[in-house]
Amino acid sequence: MNETPFVVETSGLTKRFGDREVVKDVELHVPRGSAFGYLGPNGAGKTTLIRMLLGLTSANAGSMRLLGLPVPERRAEALRRVGAIVEEPSFHGHLTGRENLHIVAAAREAEVHARIPTVLEAVGLSGRADERVKTYSMGMRQRLGVARVLLADPELLILDEPANGLDPAGILEFRGLVRRLVDEGRTVMLSSHLLDEVEKTCDAVAIVDRGQIVAQGTIAELRDGGGSHILIEAEPIEHARALLAASRAVSEVSDDGSMLRARLSDPGAVPELNRRLVEAGIAVRRLEPVQASLEQRFLEITSRFEKAA
Amino acid sequence: MNTTVALPKPPTIRSTFRRPRLIRAEVLKLRKRRGLVATVTAMTVGTAVVLYGVLISLHAANPAHHGPAGGVSNLSHGVFLLGALGTVVAIILGASAGADDLNTGVFRELVVTGRSRWSLFWARIPGGLVFLLPFVAVAYTLAAVASVGFADSLAAPSTRLLVESGIFLLAEVAFGFVLALGLASLLGSRAQTIGILLAFRLALTPLILSIKFLGTSRESIPGAAFDRISPQAILDSGRPQVGMSLVAAIVVLALWTGIALAIGGWRTATRDA
Repeated sequence: MNETPFVVETSGLTKRFGDREVVKDVELHVPRGSAFGYLGPNGAGKTTLIRMLLGLTSANAGSMRLLGLPVPERRAEALRRVGAIVEEPSFHGHLTGRENLHIVAAAREAEVHARIPTVLEAVGLSGRADERVKTYSMGMRQRLGVARVLLADPELLILDEPANGLDPAGILEFRGLVRRLVDEGRTVMLSSHLLDEVEKTCDAVAIVDRGQIVAQGTIAELRDGGGSHILIEAEPIEHARALLAASRAVSEVSDDGSMLRARLSDPGAVPELNRRLVEAGIAVRRLEPVQASLEQRFLEITSRFEKAA
Repeated sequence: MNTTVALPKPPTIRSTFRRPRLIRAEVLKLRKRRGLVATVTAMTVGTAVVLYGVLISLHAANPAHHGPAGGVSNLSHGVFLLGALGTVVAIILGASAGADDLNTGVFRELVVTGRSRWSLFWARIPGGLVFLLPFVAVAYTLAAVASVGFADSLAAPSTRLLVESGIFLLAEVAFGFVLALGLASLLGSRAQTIGILLAFRLALTPLILSIKFLGTSRESIPGAAFDRISPQAILDSGRPQVGMSLVAAIVVLALWTGIALAIGGWRTATRDA
C-alpha cells in the first residue's frame, strides 16, 4: 500500500441524479493520520460523495484515490483496509451481534474472523454479543457498527453522520473513540451537519454546500480565515456603529440591537478604536475581542456562497 | 470503548480462497430464520410424514377399501406433492436469499468490504441449496422407503425409478430456488418475487400447458420441460402434456436458469447499494 500523504483524494468528482448535480467538481484531500470532518447542511451531497468513494454508486465524472489507489479500478484492494458506516449501520435483526460480524468477516480475509472477540471487547459488547440484534438499542447498534468497521483493522475509517441517534454520553464516548483511533495512526473521515461536533472532534475540515466544497483546511485555518472580531456594547449604539463603519480598520459591522460586532481588517487597531469611540463621547460599556467559532465561519461561508449562487 | 485491537496480519494465499466462508454465511442467514426453517420442514419432511402416515393408517383401518400405502402409484403421488410444495418453499427461500440483504441494508455493508458483487451473488446459490436440498432429500427418502416398505400386493418401484425420481425432485426444487433467487435479486423485493413465481407456477403454467392451440410455443414453459424429463412411470397421465424432445427440455431449463442467474447477477453488480 502506498504511503501517500492523503488517504482520500478526489479530482473533479461529479455526480448527477437526472439533471440535478448533487456533487459538483469536488477536489478533496484528506490528510493521513487525522480526524477529518466533511461538514455541510443536510442535502449538501455528503453521503453521495461517501457512497462514490466506497463504490456504492458510480461517479459521472472525475477521479478518486483511496489510500493512494485509484478507484473504482483498484477498489477491492483499497477497501481491504477501509472500514465504513454509511448512514446508519444495518444488520440482520434475526442474527446475534456476533453472527452479524461473522457475515461481514466472511467477505473479508480469513483471519478477520479471529478478530471478532477482540473488536466486540473493544466496543464493550462482549456480554451482549450472543443476543439477537433486533433486541439491541440504537446505541448498541452503533457500537456494533463500529465493531464491524474495526474488523478490517482499517487504516481509514469513513463514518457518515456517526453521532446520529447517540445520547450526550454516547457522543462524548464517540469523540474519545475517534481521538484514540487517530492516536493509533488511523485516519477518520466523518461527515456531519453538526458543526460543534466536527469542531470538537476533528483536526481538519472541508465545508460543503450544494455539492461543492467551499472551504478546506485545518479548524484553526478556517476559523482564522474569518479575521478578528470584537464585540462592542456602547451608547448611543447608532453613533458607535457609524463611527466603526467609517474606520478603515473595520471591514464589516453588524448589529443585533444591543451589541455591535465588528470584523477587523487590522487586528491591532482595537486600542485606537476604543480611543476614538470614547473621544466621540460614546459610552463604551464593553469591548471584547472574540474568537470566531467554526459555526460562524460556516454560516459566513455558506451564506456568501448562497449570495454568489 | 477501548479500541486497541490485534496487530494486522498480511494477506495470505489461503486467505484469498474465501468462497466457502461466503457460502457458510449464506447458510447461517437462512438457518437462523426460525419461521423459514419451520415452513421448510413442514412443507417437505412434514408433508411426507403426513401423506404416508395417512395412507398407512387408512390401509390399516380398512384394507379392503384403501390399498397399500406403497407402490409406484403412491410414489408418484408423493413425488408430485413434494415437487409442488418443495417448489413453493424453494421460491420462498430463493426470494429470501435474493432480497434479504438488500431489504435489511446489509448488502451495502458487504459491498464496502471490497468483495466483488458477483461473488456475493454466486455464494447465494450453493448457500441456499445446501440449506434446502437436505430437507427435500429427507422427505423423498421417507417417500421412497414407504413406497417400497408398504407396497404389499402392489408393484414396488425399482431402484432405478427411485433414483431417477429422487434426482428429478431435487432438480425441480433447485430450479425453483434459482429462478426465485434471480428474480428477487433483480426486483429487490421478496414479496413481489414470491407472488409472481407462485402465480406463474400454480396458475399460469397449468393454464398455458392446457391451451392446445399455443402449440410448440408451450415448450418454452419450464413446467412442460419438467414433464418431459420426469420419469414416465410417475407421471399421472403416463405421458407429458406437451410433446418435446429430451434435448429441447434440457435446453429450455438451462436457458431459464441461465437467464435468471444472468439478470440477477447483473442487477446485483450494477445496482446502487
